[in-house]
Amino acid sequence: MQKIYKNAVLALLCLASLVFLLFQLYYYRPRLSQKNGTAFSKVRGSQLGQDSTRWHVVRKFLGAISSHNIPVYLIDPLILGLIDKDIEQIRSSPDGPSPECKYFCAPRDFTTFALLDKTWKHEASLFRTAEKMGFQWLKIINKDPRLDGIDDLTGIEIPLHYIFKLASHAIHLVVFYERSGNYLWHGPLRLKQRLDRKFVPFRKLHFGRYPGAYEKPELLLVSIDDLKVQIPKNPSSFLEEMSQSRFLECRYREARAFFQLYPDDVSLDAVEFRKKAKSLLHLAASTLNRLGVKFWLSSGTCLGWYRQCNVIPHSKDVDLGIFIRDYKPDIITAFQKAGLPLKHKFGKVEDSLELSFQGKDDVKLDIFFFYEEDDYIWNGGTQAKSGKKFKYLFPKFTLCWTEFVELKVHVPCETLQYVEANYGPYWKVPVKTWDWKSSPSNVQHNGVWPVDEWDNVIQIY
Amino acid sequence: MDDWKPNPAVKPHKKRSWYLAWKYKLMNQRALRKLCQTGAVLFLLVTVIVNIKLILDTRRAAYEEEAESAQDYDDEMLNVEVPRHPVSNKKVLDVEVYSSRSKVYVAVDGTTVLEDEAREQGRGIHVIVLNQATGHVMAKRVFDTYSPHEDEAMVLFLNMVARGRILIFTVKDEGSFHLKDTAKNVLKSLGSQVAPFLSWRDMWTFVGKKGGEVYGEKHAKSPALSTWGDPVLLKTEVHLTSVEDAECHWPDTELNRRRKRFCSKVEGYGSVCSCKDPTPIEFSPDPLKDNKVFDVPVAVIAGNRPNYLYRMLRSLLSAQGVNPQMITVFIDGYYEEPMDVVELFGLSGIQHTPISIKNARVSQHYKASLTATFSLFPDAKFAVVLEEDLDISVDFFSFLSQSIHLLEEDESLYCISAWNDQGYEHTAEDPSLLYRVETMPGLGWVLRKSLYKDELEPKWPTPEKLWDWDMWMRMPEQRKGRECIIPDISRSYHFGIVGLNMNGYFHEAYFKKHKFNTVPNVQLKNVESLRKDAYETEIHRLLGEAEVLDHSKNPCEDSFVPDTEGRVYVMFIRMEQEADFTTWTQLAKCLHIWDLDVRGNHKGLWRLFRKKNHFLVVGVPASPYSSKKPSSVTPIFMEPPAKEEGAAVVPAVAAAEQT
Repeated sequence: MQKIYKNAVLALLCLASLVFLLFQLYYYRPRLSQKNGTAFSKVRGSQLGQDSTRWHVVRKFLGAISSHNIPVYLIDPLILGLIDKDIEQIRSSPDGPSPECKYFCAPRDFTTFALLDKTWKHEASLFRTAEKMGFQWLKIINKDPRLDGIDDLTGIEIPLHYIFKLASHAIHLVVFYERSGNYLWHGPLRLKQRLDRKFVPFRKLHFGRYPGAYEKPELLLVSIDDLKVQIPKNPSSFLEEMSQSRFLECRYREARAFFQLYPDDVSLDAVEFRKKAKSLLHLAASTLNRLGVKFWLSSGTCLGWYRQCNVIPHSKDVDLGIFIRDYKPDIITAFQKAGLPLKHKFGKVEDSLELSFQGKDDVKLDIFFFYEEDDYIWNGGTQAKSGKKFKYLFPKFTLCWTEFVELKVHVPCETLQYVEANYGPYWKVPVKTWDWKSSPSNVQHNGVWPVDEWDNVIQIY
Repeated sequence: MDDWKPNPAVKPHKKRSWYLAWKYKLMNQRALRKLCQTGAVLFLLVTVIVNIKLILDTRRAAYEEEAESAQDYDDEMLNVEVPRHPVSNKKVLDVEVYSSRSKVYVAVDGTTVLEDEAREQGRGIHVIVLNQATGHVMAKRVFDTYSPHEDEAMVLFLNMVARGRILIFTVKDEGSFHLKDTAKNVLKSLGSQVAPFLSWRDMWTFVGKKGGEVYGEKHAKSPALSTWGDPVLLKTEVHLTSVEDAECHWPDTELNRRRKRFCSKVEGYGSVCSCKDPTPIEFSPDPLKDNKVFDVPVAVIAGNRPNYLYRMLRSLLSAQGVNPQMITVFIDGYYEEPMDVVELFGLSGIQHTPISIKNARVSQHYKASLTATFSLFPDAKFAVVLEEDLDISVDFFSFLSQSIHLLEEDESLYCISAWNDQGYEHTAEDPSLLYRVETMPGLGWVLRKSLYKDELEPKWPTPEKLWDWDMWMRMPEQRKGRECIIPDISRSYHFGIVGLNMNGYFHEAYFKKHKFNTVPNVQLKNVESLRKDAYETEIHRLLGEAEVLDHSKNPCEDSFVPDTEGRVYVMFIRMEQEADFTTWTQLAKCLHIWDLDVRGNHKGLWRLFRKKNHFLVVGVPASPYSSKKPSSVTPIFMEPPAKEEGAAVVPAVAAAEQT
């Protein structure tokens, strides 16, 4: 009997130890997945744990944000991509319960949100709340570009990015600023010396490699994966915009140096011309934007932006470039409707097209159409009286956004090459006499229009 | 372990050999069992230990993590915090104070914190306040106690300094002539033994703690009226206290954190830094219903007058309908203290590298500030422009909210200003009344973005032109015949008495008696009648009902206007052409209103109040309203005084501008 008793005790002890073991594992698991901070970074939870971690982190973050009444919206390209596939369904049932964690559990290192600068204040209390929840955070500040163009103003540095890290997931909060020209801007993410470079894998961030420019988005409040979150109303067009959002700041410092060498013309004529050129550019931009035609600052206007961040007062016209693939026949009628009659039309869609419109106050608007070849891009010129054709060659370029005379417009990203191709290595020196047939350094003779085509390719009004 | 199932209850086998084998086996098994029992107990023990260890580990890890994030927080706060003075770890400060006829200096731990050897400047008693825990210079003042009233200012200042601060005094040149007993007693109460007997051209240095010990005092008596006392050099040691002792223990809130930072850095702001019941730094005035200027940016133009800025921001933030997020303070120069004031109130401030000199510097600062304002608030159609030496009326934003639509719709308007140049205590009466005037008063005004961007900014005077920005804005080339809307009773008050174009005498004569509205929520009267054409109808109506005053009397005499209330009177003065202000200037002079240049006119008509009656002055024949003059009345002509006096006025006109 004694033996039996002994054995029973033993068995009981074994069972107890087993229970203990199970309890250990049970106790450990959630701690591991939840508080997977630096101390446990080596331990990896299962796939399931990771998935729900992301969801948990996003939920916590949104909780902190909403407790401070800070309106953020989702701009994460990965999640927006997933959302876009089901956008109809999400739109039609904004409060519908989702059966599974479909979006916020998707594998990724970051979730990216946007924040409008003017909609919040008092970041310190947000940080405190976030810390209490276990977040670690990083704030990236830099110069305020809105004050860069103003002589000798030292603005305060402004926050451009925030990163909140919890466990193995991080929230990237991009701060958007409203700028002159009715658009939103976000800054580049540049780490200062003393910042922790290993805080998160910065290279994997979707925003911050370059500054970016965006239209003000229309937002939609949706409920996905049991979380209420604002998203851009049209995710696919946002993603499209994002892919071409790179922004170039004007070179204000160089422009100041230029004006040191060549003081600005502040005569009444110059002031008047600049005002006219600005309003013409605004009119042209709104007309082309309405048509959905992508354009950029070209020739003298581009040089003015690049060299002096302003309209060159003695340039006497406004020059825009458009890729011929973006050409639409209603461009001419649209401009006429906007009060800009066609002045002349040279060339044809297949070859050397160039349009010129008469602005309201004696300022001309020239639109050059650009033709892409395998290793260069060109636009054409035509001399009206002789029918001679010219060809201006440019190295290949892509388009970036910039701000010019309170307008968000495109310029070639590779501006220096573009300007140098057009104006040669001495583009920094102002030239008042300019002959478009011989002065440009990239001009080539391109034969003569056949006389029977003249009526079509040389139209002057 | 788990497969080990002992079964002692098994029956013995019949076969002996087998039984023996079994028995042997059983014996073996017993040993095995014993072994296993021990093993089990050991295993259990290990499990428990491991278990406990794991729980402890988890706890510790969690704790460390928390501690770590707290560490981050500390670091961040430290960076935001004022960079500590290098002496913060030291217990003793070496202080050197020098006083002489032509030079004073103060050195703390070998660092010169004050040096003044300029001629004809810095006369009087220099006062330096040090933080008793860090040795930081918190305030530097000079009181020219050779001149009257400066000792009162010094007493005021010393009373505002918190207990425990270290005070350093030194005299340059002369500091006793107008040092009255009150001031001497204050110095005595600080521990000075010499101060009560300080006399003509004595040299004196003193270092002491407010409400505490004296660290040193030196004095050199002037031997004769015509000579100065010998220079004195005081070298002493000051014992620093701990930071905790030097700070107040306010509850830990966002606001008090700002207050703490401010109060550990600067002195001389009085009750904002008192440990008990400090003045609030957040005001939350009533919001305005239907506030049309809530989203209009407010640019505060400031220089290095932090005490003014402090007073100004207090009144601005107390005005109903203020939106602190739209306020930006633009500081001309890299001055720390104004920035500290801005941060105390949680506003944003921007510093501007000074360009050019004097008036041109102010003008460049204005340009940069306005450009920056419209760049920071690209949506704004207007900007409110304020200066650091203005009190802002409680209904400032209400006044603008009711009138701003006019600026948007009426092309003939140049600005809305809160200031009536002619609105003195005795000439302004009706807080609900507005005027149209051809001059731009400034001193708290609203600028239209299109006016700035399209017209003013491109041709703003360049740095080499030493123009006043407001004089330039008043020039016909800029104003182009447009007018400004002003209230009868000003919504701002100009309190600055030190400034570029300002001094005590000038302020006393032209600004001190200015009327300032203190009534909240004034409902403006008949705002629509301020539109271009409606205003003409209104003026004609007024002139129609106005009683013509007796033109045989002297208009400077009080009896010129009858002792009535609420009537409308008109008088006619001679004004040969549009720019003939001879009589007006004389009339303005004797009425004690602004006479340094012509202000407040509208087509040769001035509107003000006398003895609570509306008083209209029409210039005949230049004014289009001359037709209202009865043929029997001869316009009054007043002659300017003799030439020399007139010549003396001219430079004053040039300097007649607010800073």
